[in-house]
Amino acid sequence: MIEIRDLHKSFGPLQVLKGVDLTVEHGKVLVIIGPSGSGKTTLLRCFNLLEQPDQGSLALADLKLNFTASGKIPQRSILALRQRTGMVFQSYNLFPHMTALGNVMEGQVTVQKRPKEEARKRGMELLAKVGLADKVDAYPHQLSGGQQQRVAIARAMAVEPEVLLFDEPTSALDPELVGEVLKVIKQLAAEGMTMVIVTHEMKFAADVADQIILMDDGVILEQGTPAEVLEHTTNPRALQFLNRISGEDI
Amino acid sequence: MDDRKIQIFLDSMLPLLKAGVAFTIPLAVVSFILGLLLAVLTALIRLSPWTLPKLIARFYVWIIRGTPLLVQLFIIFYGLPAVGIILDPFIAATIGFTLSVGAYSSEIVRAAILSIHKGQWEAAFSVGMTRGQALRRVILPQAARVSVPPLSNSFISLVKDTSLAATITYVEIFKTAQQITATTYEPLLLYCEAALFYLLFCSVLSVLQNHLEKRLDRYSAR
Ligand SMILES: Nc1ncnc2c1ncn2[C@@H]1O[C@H](COP(=O)(O)OP(=O)(O)OP(=O)(O)O)[C@@H](O)[C@H]1O
Ligand SMILES: [Mg+2]
Repeated sequence: MIEIRDLHKSFGPLQVLKGVDLTVEHGKVLVIIGPSGSGKTTLLRCFNLLEQPDQGSLALADLKLNFTASGKIPQRSILALRQRTGMVFQSYNLFPHMTALGNVMEGQVTVQKRPKEEARKRGMELLAKVGLADKVDAYPHQLSGGQQQRVAIARAMAVEPEVLLFDEPTSALDPELVGEVLKVIKQLAAEGMTMVIVTHEMKFAADVADQIILMDDGVILEQGTPAEVLEHTTNPRALQFLNRISGEDI
Repeated sequence: MDDRKIQIFLDSMLPLLKAGVAFTIPLAVVSFILGLLLAVLTALIRLSPWTLPKLIARFYVWIIRGTPLLVQLFIIFYGLPAVGIILDPFIAATIGFTLSVGAYSSEIVRAAILSIHKGQWEAAFSVGMTRGQALRRVILPQAARVSVPPLSNSFISLVKDTSLAATITYVEIFKTAQQITATTYEPLLLYCEAALFYLLFCSVLSVLQNHLEKRLDRYSAR
């Protein structure tokens, strides 16, 4: 479904991704964990080209892109990739001048050119699905963080992406609001949505992931099923990270 | 105040009001609308990656901001005929004020666009929008809200600046007051009366600004 090969990305002299290879199967959930600054966000943003890699390749089904430091990716391919992926941001980034429904309709109407009525209907369905049927007319500032993030998930789903990307979707939330967002994500996983999730929530990761990647310093340190990575790793650096995380978390 | 002065004051009200409604306001409104379009265009060019247009935009802002408006109006109205371009006072004034609003407000618009969090661009891109779509649907509506107070300021300044058009024979409020003074010899009275009309128009604008801000505030907690 998604194949990333030998992905490199630098910011000036700082090498952030140093050759990443991974595959996400259709309908599976890939969770990316790792210490702060290890390149998780950067990697995720390469999936929809919010960051353009310097080297390597990315394929989403039939859409194949090769990156070089100087080569420009055609705008057409960038837009195509972004229409086929959806992203949920740590800080929600809802459009503050639109209602919840407006946010969910926006991509459908502006990008996909769907008739307004159809977009509204789908928007209502999606908001109902994330448990916000009664908030369709609320503006983002009238919603709690957890509600805003659920609107953001509905917005990302609205354009029918083939894969959903999450960057620490709950780390800006008050602890009591984390559950409602994770529940929605788990439900999507159960329905067979292909997802890539960066998170620090280890229990959630173990629960929802088909595959876990542990990043460290721009490379993949460990990769496998939750049990393989979280319980049976022998890599000392991986163990160090997991110990520290479990100390904080549990 | 004696009766004669009161009579002159009352007799002048209608001509001054007419000059305001028929000349000052149209000049201010037309110049502001055109100037705003020019400002948005200039701001967008300055935020674009195109080197030459950027240079031209910067040059334009530099010239307009670095020279007096009065001198610009004189160049347009009294200077251009020397190269065969003869403009009617309204057109000359509109060009002068439009260029001025365009230059000053482009900085306001540019700052407003830059003030929108980059997460808004990214959210727009993430649903597949082009730069143009993101700008039109997501960034400019939010930038517009941010720029209402400073742009209202510009508009109020513009209304007062239109008095400069008197110097290029445009018969607006101030020019009308001058003409009445010439026959009544009451400069203190007439110029104060003219000032009162500017004050009236600007006060109305302030009220409108408040209304506009309230309307636009429905989506933000500010
Ligand atoms: N736009 C940028 N310009 C320069 N450096 C950047 C940029 N984005 C990220 N970096 C740097 O790249 C490195 C990796 O950042 P990234 O955000 O991918 O880490 P992360 O694993 O998501 O960390 P965290 O868990 O704290 O979110 C960091 O050192 C960061 O400072
Ligand atoms: Mg991050």
